[in-house]
Amino acid sequence: MNPSDFSQPQRQSPVGVLVMFFYTLQQYLRALWPILVIWVFKFDEINKLYLALGAISLIVLIGVVSYLKYLNFTFFLDEENEEFIITEGILNKTKTTIQLNKIQQVNINQSLIQKFVGVYALDVDTAGSSKKEGSIKAISHNLALELKARLLENERKIVSSEIESEQSAVAEASPEEHPFIKISFLTLLKVGITSNYLRSLGLLLLFVSTIYENLSNFTEDDLLENQNFDEYNYFDGTAIFKGILILVTFLFLIVLIINLVRVVFKYFDYKIAKQKGSLLLSFGLLNTKSTIIKPEKVQITTVTRNFFQKKMDILEIKIKQATSGEPEEKKSAIEIPGCSESERDQILKLLFKSIPEKGAMLKPNFRKLVFSIFTTIVLPLSLYLAFAEWVEPEAFEFIYIVPAYALFIGLILYFSFRNYRLFVSDHFIIKQSGAWDIENEIIEPGKIQAITTSQLFWHKKADIGSIILHTAGGNVAFQLGDFTRIKKHVNLWLYEIETSDSNWM
Amino acid sequence: MENFTNTTIDTTQLPRFEEVQFSKLHPNHWKVILINTAITFFVLAIVAGFLFYFNEEIEEARWHALIAFVVLLLVTILFSRIGFKKRGFAFREHDVLFQSGIIATKTIVIPYNRVQHVALHEGLASRYFGLAKVEIFTAGGSSSDIEIPGIEKEQAENIKQLLMGKIQKQL
Repeated sequence: MNPSDFSQPQRQSPVGVLVMFFYTLQQYLRALWPILVIWVFKFDEINKLYLALGAISLIVLIGVVSYLKYLNFTFFLDEENEEFIITEGILNKTKTTIQLNKIQQVNINQSLIQKFVGVYALDVDTAGSSKKEGSIKAISHNLALELKARLLENERKIVSSEIESEQSAVAEASPEEHPFIKISFLTLLKVGITSNYLRSLGLLLLFVSTIYENLSNFTEDDLLENQNFDEYNYFDGTAIFKGILILVTFLFLIVLIINLVRVVFKYFDYKIAKQKGSLLLSFGLLNTKSTIIKPEKVQITTVTRNFFQKKMDILEIKIKQATSGEPEEKKSAIEIPGCSESERDQILKLLFKSIPEKGAMLKPNFRKLVFSIFTTIVLPLSLYLAFAEWVEPEAFEFIYIVPAYALFIGLILYFSFRNYRLFVSDHFIIKQSGAWDIENEIIEPGKIQAITTSQLFWHKKADIGSIILHTAGGNVAFQLGDFTRIKKHVNLWLYEIETSDSNWM
Repeated sequence: MENFTNTTIDTTQLPRFEEVQFSKLHPNHWKVILINTAITFFVLAIVAGFLFYFNEEIEEARWHALIAFVVLLLVTILFSRIGFKKRGFAFREHDVLFQSGIIATKTIVIPYNRVQHVALHEGLASRYFGLAKVEIFTAGGSSSDIEIPGIEKEQAENIKQLLMGKIQKQL
């Protein structure tokens, strides 16, 4: 046996058939569980012979399928082209080709089944997308280690140096480091009272509903509900109104307090320090978290501020990086709450080497406003009115909600339309959006991975269309803008991306 | 340094992605779509048939179900046809373009130096016609990947080689 020869297509470990068998069985069970549940319940009524025959034929079928899967799964290293190639599939065949230098990570794992059989899984991960690009389900440990070494051969130098620098960065990220920005307790209080009302309200509702549910579970016959219902009849109008007012004020206060406590706990003693061009962050009251932001890995930077925060000169920065780690790590953005404007400029300067300027402005077409008014005001309200008219006349009792809803949502829509802008300058693309919390998403054209443009056929004449910029940290979309200008920008961005070999991470 | 120039680019002279001529998918791919639709609807018909056979209470709804079934089938075929007609791909010197959409025309552009990896997929029906699907992946998540179906196997292999070559050259 010559384990180091990966240049010929080879199958997995023969015991891999067993692993395949269990995985396929798992898959089938997941697909067939409703039928299984019925079988279990009707166990006595079903002919045992059929059941046994059915089960045996299913197991044989799975056995055959997993054997075929095993036969058709091969992988090999194409030394000449420096590619790793995986071929799989029985009827539908897929051949995946991964360039060796695009490989970010090779993970060797062992699930319970694999432990049982004594093999390992090898997952190949490239940047960006969350799913594993290549996955070998059964491979012996030695072979896995060897393959991993071969896959990462040309990456090794870069990887090891990176780890080194990261380690040293962590080592020096100790409190002795001189932070250039510190967020004071007072600022955190300001942040707490001015942000995230919706999130806190949602958390509160969740909390209340859980408690309510537990209570009603506890007192079997819905004691709470019954009592309330009886008492409701004795209330007159003003009492209800007063009650609602008190409730709203109470809710608002609770939301504020929750927000304050959450912000203080999460971001207590927030420090930002510079280190070899990277940003070092550390924060937290109970468990201190520290993170490193490398400017070249930053994909989307979002600066958010609302009216109150503007008056108090605070704003929030969110940074999305391209990472090759775990999926949950990829999703999360790093938040810096409560910077002043000058601190924001300092941070942006560090990330981009210059302060992003807002360039030529693109406005959305008025149809965007009309369309959103239609879908969020006209449609639900007409549904409600139709429901009240033809199905349940009692619903007319809440008719006063209609103007309130229309006004409230209308205001939100109007302001989000007015704030919806795309600014394009030579080095930055900034998308502004939001009704109350105004967001500015900043990306550099070099970070773009792909561009999608789309246009509905009835918008051709009006010359409006949409664009989505895909980056490794998420998408930035702008809808219903001047399509001729959008296309011009796209051509320029493509030219810039294709003529430079700028590093996007 | 002597060769260094930095002339202003005339942005109006840049190659325009919107004027690219798109290649259509292979005509046989339409047959593949029809076969796949037929299989799906066949399975659906069997399930519905069993339902009506064993459940006598809903016997009156039989004709409604049949009409609904036929309408659904026709609409599916119509939309597949429009979708098939509107799909097209183009390989430029520096990027790959794919166009699709039924009511909206969607064009996605991936520069070669942003391609992460490439896969070749052959479905059962397409294999019969010697067709394959080229899948091009970027780091921008699943919404920024391109899948070009209905390409002859040989051409698909060539495209893959071309892409891999282009990726290699970037380094």
